[in-house]
Amino acid sequence: MGRVLLVVRLVLADVRRHKAHAAMLVLAVTAAVATLALGLSLNGACEALYRQTRAATGGPDVVALAPDSGPDATRELESLATHPEVVGHNGPYAVVYSDLAVHGRSSGVVVHGASLTPGPINRPLVTSGEWIRPGGAVVERGLATALGVKVGDRVTVSDRRYPVVGIAVTAATSIYPWAAGIGPLGGPSDPSGLVWMTAKDASALAGRDLTVTTAMDLKLRDPSATNAFRSSLRSPTTRLTLHSWQFIATQDTVILSGTEPILVVGGWLLGFLAITGVAALAAGRIVEQTRRAGLLKAIGATPGLIAAVLLTEFLALAVLAQVLGLAVARLVEPAIANPTASLIGCVVGPDGTTLVATTLLVLAVALLTMLPPTVRALRTATVSALTSPAQYLRHRPLLTTLSAVLPTSLLVGLRLTARRPGRAVLHAFSTAATVTGITGLLIGIAQPVRPYAALPNIRDEQNYRLLLAVTVMLVALAIVNTIAITWMTAMESRVSMAVTRALGATPGQVSAGLSFAQLLPAVPGAVAGVYLGIFLFGIFSVGQIAMPPASWLLAAVLATLFATAALTALPARFAARHPVARTLSAETV
Amino acid sequence: MNVLQTRRLTKEHGAGASRVRAVDEVDLDVPEGQTLAVMGPSGCGKSTLLHLLGGLERPTAGEVWIGQRRTDSLSERALARLRRRSIGFVFQAFHLVDELSTAENVELPALLAGRSLREARRRADFLLDQVGLADRARHLPSELSGGQRQRAAIARALANEPQVVLADEPTGNLDTAATTDVLRIFAELRAAGQTLVIVTHDERVAATADRLISMRDGMFVDDTRLLDGTGRLAGLIGLEG
Repeated sequence: MGRVLLVVRLVLADVRRHKAHAAMLVLAVTAAVATLALGLSLNGACEALYRQTRAATGGPDVVALAPDSGPDATRELESLATHPEVVGHNGPYAVVYSDLAVHGRSSGVVVHGASLTPGPINRPLVTSGEWIRPGGAVVERGLATALGVKVGDRVTVSDRRYPVVGIAVTAATSIYPWAAGIGPLGGPSDPSGLVWMTAKDASALAGRDLTVTTAMDLKLRDPSATNAFRSSLRSPTTRLTLHSWQFIATQDTVILSGTEPILVVGGWLLGFLAITGVAALAAGRIVEQTRRAGLLKAIGATPGLIAAVLLTEFLALAVLAQVLGLAVARLVEPAIANPTASLIGCVVGPDGTTLVATTLLVLAVALLTMLPPTVRALRTATVSALTSPAQYLRHRPLLTTLSAVLPTSLLVGLRLTARRPGRAVLHAFSTAATVTGITGLLIGIAQPVRPYAALPNIRDEQNYRLLLAVTVMLVALAIVNTIAITWMTAMESRVSMAVTRALGATPGQVSAGLSFAQLLPAVPGAVAGVYLGIFLFGIFSVGQIAMPPASWLLAAVLATLFATAALTALPARFAARHPVARTLSAETV
Repeated sequence: MNVLQTRRLTKEHGAGASRVRAVDEVDLDVPEGQTLAVMGPSGCGKSTLLHLLGGLERPTAGEVWIGQRRTDSLSERALARLRRRSIGFVFQAFHLVDELSTAENVELPALLAGRSLREARRRADFLLDQVGLADRARHLPSELSGGQRQRAAIARALANEPQVVLADEPTGNLDTAATTDVLRIFAELRAAGQTLVIVTHDERVAATADRLISMRDGMFVDDTRLLDGTGRLAGLIGLEG
């Protein structure tokens, strides 16, 4: 118990002393975990929403669609009602293919001729207003949201105006804009929404020379046995198309097909940035950690206890960030999993896969960043740890000779890079991750616009928004990383920079050298990021992708490098102007 | 001709009630070729004086001249250029760059001054030979003894043939044998006409100087000419009594 208390006390004291480090770790890991958790749980969340909508609306197990209207279609559908596996049905009802205009915008719609008093099967849930009445229409919530329709508005369907008496959701069709499910004669349909009218109003519409098909909702004895039911009806003469509830649920997730990879890849990229940033911070504290370990050894602490003290802080903060990230994901998930508002319900907590993946991410951040300095601290002899700063600098004669022929700023910069090549690699990876996101965004922007008739493509819009959000988070983290890495480099090399200045280097040369040291690894990182972005976008895209002009990608690389130079300038300038005498005097004692 | 000159040179640290005058209106003339030792208790302002002379700190008031050039009003960039050409520093803690070899450390000032690598290397080899470290040229500072490190630091200070070498407690971290080595090098420099200003606690170092200034509370309290040009005791210039 005493040991645990000691560890907790030491960890809390260290967090209090390094509040900015702790905040950066928590922020970076929270962003990464939230994004990854969102990406991994979206499909599950969408399915959960569909199941809840289905439960609330008496969703059918199978929807049977005939390719036309008329007595043959009606007869064929009605014969299903007597199938031994069918225990209930709704319909047949007319499905009229039309268009709807409101507020100067229009969309394709299918009009379902519905009963004034819906039965237990396919009972749309009215979310505002009331159910249909003669002369009044109910608009499906996804379509209403896309068009900005409210109860009391008047919509024009096939040149005839109807007051909107209600807005409702259903599980009998796929979400907007795939309400039609299948077009006339069994062919493909254009993107369309759903409107309910009375059967009489729908028939009146049908009489206006519009295409009409017929549908019927079925309840099965065994709702999970939809495949067997479909197989039992398969014959060369059947003209019916059968949509099972599982098919509709899967179709609903198609709207998220681009969203998931954006968030999952974005989550891993953010996780990577978290690792690079936190690793730079941890490396910057290695001298202090080694001294701390030496002190603990000197007073009798075992290696296990020391490791616990050094690792617990990062692990605890990372776990806190995981909890926060999962909470953020939970809050944001309904909006992202249900972009059309066609579904109702609330999402459930993270599933096992999400928990395992985010835990792996958190452990990777904590262990990759803290394990090396901890092992070093444990391996350093007690006396050495207490008496001399743990500088692990390697002589690099080739690089030193190469830098000797360069102008002073480049000489300083290259030698600074050579002092901490690992950090340069981290910075290169950090830049690559950021440019990967930016490249993905540029490719996303370059894709051709595929509107739903006159309405924006919700899927493309959501993907663009998420791509933008992930890129903004990547850039924000990269900014913090760049400033932190520059500052760490400046602080670690302050004595050698002070000596260099004492020997005649100007503050400007030292400052430019510090900036150059960050810029040097950023160049290959930015170039690699462009190729990685193209590669990842290609992997997760269906079909041919439109590439942005090369000038855009070149501009992205140059802008990243310019931003890196600008971001490093301030800490570099500040560090380079630190009084030389004070730095050297402090190191003399 | 004076290589170094100060007039009413003053440096204050802190503000308000905690203000401390580290250097208090000091006038100093150091002629070319002179070896000046500055002694005094800890905190008397010796190191601050050295930093002011070398342009590592800016005075609160007064003037500093190096050769014919007034330096206290120069920009940081101009001061840096002046240090490159005219001043060599030797620090108590050596301050060699850890990841560079001994030779690379000695080359550094020449490279900063824009000399070619070949030229810088030739000069470094010469200086390392002079201080007896030719066989240690490729060693890292961590592989050298304290005395060897200080000799390397002296070689580095001489890389650009400065007008004056400013040494801050150069034997402060050395044992007797290493101190003897450093003193021998200083004696050789003095014989070669190199101007030296050495801040020290060590009587043995002070005894090798031409002139000894004692400081207390930021002021010169004694200025003694120890040896004339032939190495004989020359006379005393007492500021007290």
